[in-house]
Amino acid sequence: MTCSANPRPAESQTAVRIAGNRRVGAGVHLLRFRAPAIARAAQPGQFLHLLAPGMALLRRPFSIHDIDGDGIAILYRIAGQGTALLSRLRQGEPLDVVGPLGRPFAIENGRPHHIVVAGGIGIAPLQLLLRRLRAAKLSPLLCYGCATKTELRPHLRVKRIVATDDGSCGAKGFVTAALEAALDRYPGAQLYGCGPWPMLKALAAIAARRRLPCQVSLESFMACGVGACQGCVVKAVDGYRTVCHDGPVFESAAIDWDQEPVV
Amino acid sequence: MNRNTPVKPVDLAVRVCGLRLKNPVIAASGTYGYGAEYRRLAPPADFGAIITKTVTLAPRAGNPPPRVFETASGMINAIGLANVGVEAFLRDKLPGLRRCGALVIANIAGNTADEYARLARRLDGAPGIAAIEVNISCPNVRHGGVAFGTDPRVAASLTRKVKKAAKLPVIVKLSPNVSDIAAIARAVEDAGADALSLINTLYGMAIDSRRRRPVLGNVTGGLSGPAIKPVALYCVHQVCQAVKLPVIGIGGIRSAEDAAEFMLAGACAVQVGTATFADPGAARAIARGLAAYCREHGFGKASDITGALHK
Repeated sequence: MTCSANPRPAESQTAVRIAGNRRVGAGVHLLRFRAPAIARAAQPGQFLHLLAPGMALLRRPFSIHDIDGDGIAILYRIAGQGTALLSRLRQGEPLDVVGPLGRPFAIENGRPHHIVVAGGIGIAPLQLLLRRLRAAKLSPLLCYGCATKTELRPHLRVKRIVATDDGSCGAKGFVTAALEAALDRYPGAQLYGCGPWPMLKALAAIAARRRLPCQVSLESFMACGVGACQGCVVKAVDGYRTVCHDGPVFESAAIDWDQEPVV
Repeated sequence: MNRNTPVKPVDLAVRVCGLRLKNPVIAASGTYGYGAEYRRLAPPADFGAIITKTVTLAPRAGNPPPRVFETASGMINAIGLANVGVEAFLRDKLPGLRRCGALVIANIAGNTADEYARLARRLDGAPGIAAIEVNISCPNVRHGGVAFGTDPRVAASLTRKVKKAAKLPVIVKLSPNVSDIAAIARAVEDAGADALSLINTLYGMAIDSRRRRPVLGNVTGGLSGPAIKPVALYCVHQVCQAVKLPVIGIGGIRSAEDAAEFMLAGACAVQVGTATFADPGAARAIARGLAAYCREHGFGKASDITGALHK
């Protein structure tokens, strides 16, 4: 059974003021603002399309990291001009927010276990998912991998398995290897993932091999954000799908994992 | 002015090839999907008319990603006319659009002149379509597209075929990727077109120097956005001096002032595309702003702006 609300919440365009925007790690920032309507409506895995002062033209999509009351948190890594510009904005500066957009994670209540797999900044959309899974008393397991322990972001207190490339925290190696080692203890688990393409590809392979359902969150360059321009497509097994509207959350079995997008 | 003097309402309605648009702002093809996608953020009813994503006879998957990329004051795209095909358009997309009360113009493209004619014939009888815009200017497909829009004789021959196939008004959308756009415009006018729209995107390319690869999956694409506005204004001005047909201006319009500039150059209406991506409220703001512009400059109606450029 799926408890994810259906149909999707209505999106809107809202002007907000930045409540906070601070560096929380190397090249990683946390942006906060109040947006009551979005905070009420948004579901885990959905994203917001942001326009900040100084952005030349197009908006930038960011997944919703967390919701606290009326407050929205966006966790982002500086990856290009848009995120660099965003990182320089201060409290009180305006933001134009469109959202919530996209297909959310579907929380499958009927599954015996729920395993959330995060790679690096891929933790961004998974914090809210963990929160909702915990609220639904589904006691999620977080498998969290990144390069080194200083890159680990604070997250909800849930059961977890950590893996780092350098072994500075948890197991040394890929998080998907750590997941694989643990999976026998979680038969019939629902998997959820977000992270670099190779990690998601490995996760999808594990899910296929063990016949486990798996939802992944993908990213792409976007223009419209609402499924109108067909600009942000990813290759699925049955043709191109828009990341903004058909996704960003997809069943991992629906994606053609040999077609790695350039992001 | 006395505070109590009522503000005289400005008539924003314009007429384009027999159609009455309640305002001069039209959603540009390819930027507005089939309308439903933007129904909450930029409702179809805000626009004077909406032009659908190009439809082709058969569905098209489109080009490999990446398909869009932001460049200086603009964006480059190579979508490749991804669309559901004309039958699915008529069955699944058009009914919703009709319910919105929008004036719908269908944009068509074919691989051959015969395909354009067949599309025009198929759409001609469909209830809820007010006009056909003929895309002879898509830079991102291997067959057809801009190939029909760069030679005056080819463009004229295609226009004649489409006109013969449909009773609906036919708007021909021109490419700026030609040496003499006025010559194309004259040829299309002589062939019987009812209106012209211009410009489609300019050929463009982006390269990722770090990866030493083209950014777009299609290698090349089409440039749109504020970066192309001066080119578009030039083309509209040239064409308006060369033909008597109504001209719809397109290219980097994101404010009422931008729209007014195109109308002063001779356009009777404008299309807004890339600006909607940045600000879904752009069309509504432009329509309102045009009313303010009219009041400020003593135009009783928006159509009076057309061609009112001081020499």
